[in-house]
Amino acid sequence: MLSKRTVIGLLTAALLSIPATVQGAEKVRVGYSISRTGLYAVATPVQQQTYELWRDQINAAGGLSIGGKGKRQIEFVSYDDQSEPSKAAQIYEKLISSDKVDLLLSPWGTATHIAVAPVVERHKFPLIGSTASTTLVRDLGAKYMWFTEVTPADFGGDLPKLLGSIGIKRVAIIAMQLPLALETKKFLVPALHQAGIEIVFDQEYPPDIKDMTGLLTSVKGAAPDGVIALSYPNDSMLYLSTAREVGLTAKFQFLEIGPTEAFIQHKFGENLDGIVTIGHWSPDQKAWPKARPFYDAYKARFNEAPDNLDSVVSYMSAEILQQAVEKVGLNHEKIREAIATGTFDTINGLVRFKGATNVGTPNGYLQIQKGVPQIIWPDQIKTADFQPKGPWK
Amino acid sequence: MLSFQLLIAALATGSVYALIAVGLNLIYGTMRLLNVAHGDLVMLGAYATYWSFSLLHVDPLIAVPFVGLLAAGIGAAAYFFLFQHFLRTGSLTDRIEANSLLVFFGLSIAIENLASLAFSGNPQAYEYLDRVIRIGSASIVGNRLAALIIALCTCIGVLLFFRLTTLGLAVRAIIQSRDAAEIVGVSARKTYLLTFCIGFGLAGMTGAVVSLYSQIWPFMGFSYTIVGFVIIILGGLGNIVGSIVGGLLLGVLETFGVAAVGANYRSILIYGVFIAIIIIRPQGLFGTKSTAR
Repeated sequence: MLSKRTVIGLLTAALLSIPATVQGAEKVRVGYSISRTGLYAVATPVQQQTYELWRDQINAAGGLSIGGKGKRQIEFVSYDDQSEPSKAAQIYEKLISSDKVDLLLSPWGTATHIAVAPVVERHKFPLIGSTASTTLVRDLGAKYMWFTEVTPADFGGDLPKLLGSIGIKRVAIIAMQLPLALETKKFLVPALHQAGIEIVFDQEYPPDIKDMTGLLTSVKGAAPDGVIALSYPNDSMLYLSTAREVGLTAKFQFLEIGPTEAFIQHKFGENLDGIVTIGHWSPDQKAWPKARPFYDAYKARFNEAPDNLDSVVSYMSAEILQQAVEKVGLNHEKIREAIATGTFDTINGLVRFKGATNVGTPNGYLQIQKGVPQIIWPDQIKTADFQPKGPWK
Repeated sequence: MLSFQLLIAALATGSVYALIAVGLNLIYGTMRLLNVAHGDLVMLGAYATYWSFSLLHVDPLIAVPFVGLLAAGIGAAAYFFLFQHFLRTGSLTDRIEANSLLVFFGLSIAIENLASLAFSGNPQAYEYLDRVIRIGSASIVGNRLAALIIALCTCIGVLLFFRLTTLGLAVRAIIQSRDAAEIVGVSARKTYLLTFCIGFGLAGMTGAVVSLYSQIWPFMGFSYTIVGFVIIILGGLGNIVGSIVGGLLLGVLETFGVAAVGANYRSILIYGVFIAIIIIRPQGLFGTKSTAR
């Protein structure tokens, strides 16, 4: 026979435990760090916006399906890593050990991905990388980390194939002295030699360059029919202004990073037409039925088009995680197994991994045509043919 | 090599450099304060122009003086809230001179991170005067030409102000000798306030000018601060003429230097010349060993 005090005590304990249990069961906690301040902050908003869009879409549809056994709403736990990779590593440690999140999304940038890799490996916590692009990821030997983006070996190594297909014989190369550009160049130059394409000008420039007139005057003097600028957004802007001033009229003009970014499109408008850049995604590719809805949803939500690279690989990483959880639930070992062996239907087509590398998404190149980035290479995914760069306006 | 195209480009770059350096040098010259937040005022000026253009449809050329006034107001606030107390007496002034680097460094970090949180890290840019204009054998995009003209005219205006007006002469007197200037009736405190306003105002105007052709983002200021310091040391600490000539010289060095030796050597060339001048003339090209003017 239970005493009155015991009954009251048990009832109170039961009542107190209900909200905590329901609350805990209600939401899946997804953690990540992002650079809201510091030098990387300029590049991260598109990734954060993409995550928010994904979360809100899932929640609007009733929540994340957990192993086919009901849905739970997603709740983000995120921190500012202040653009310091070491701080990002500490944050992922906290997310796993202290916050005890259920799932992880990736931070921004190659260096940050590499910094957090040992943390997730130690905790055996699966993490799908997104905005990291370096061949170093192949050497990490990670078992719990995968990368959706293609590498500079692809950007650089495949470019001569595109050039060959459109009859470019003489190229000038200018490269920013920063890791992605230099890594791309490392693979580009031997591939150009192998393809028999002559390099008539080859120069690197420092990140703090403020004027390109001297550089592009020299490029023009070398009379290339293709200019390959391994650039970042700031110097892509400088290139676009200066190339017009010095009258650079090569029919193929390539800028590595920048042409798909919204602010550059605002600034240069129709003068961007004809510029080629890296990118393997277009909302116009009919083979990827999820691509157009993603583009439309992003544009409606943020009043600008998604970035063809960072937004896309970030969304893909979230989609892969979502599909793995839908299949096997929240057990980390099962999620690892599902990602390592599965094939995933994303906005950029089917993705599967060999080791840490995405072997499902082909490398590609975009050209801005009438203000819209179109895939011009390779043939199996292209949405438009290459058009020689027309005169500057 | 000596093309008119390169000369126009050198002037476009150099005139903006000069404008940055004049504002920075004024504050250093009068108060010996190393304003490492100067570039962040440039950033705020760029944002103010961008938002006034994007949201209120204000012509950026009309916005330039208003942005300058806004930045001058920030300068006045910085003076009253951060530096007035420390500049009250000679002994305190000595201490704040030693600490100004840290105070402005803290201010710089605070401004950058607040801007990042308020405006997001998303870079911004706007299309304005975007047609290529031919000048003889050279071409220049309209917005860069506008930047060149505004920057040069402002530099000349500042120079005339300090040469021809009583207030300008008072500032120069403080630059030469605070104690002597006070003996003959110049109010150091009023002059400091004026200098803060002009220095910050010029930084804001530089931002408005830079926004015409460049991307705008919260962390853009640091590189302009570095450029400003290189120029004022090159031209002579506290020397306004030196800042203008130094800025133009750096523009010429950058444009013609890259054309001559290659972009790979740009930084080596600029900082090599900078170090050489420091060794040969430690007081800068236009500075004197004991005074600045």
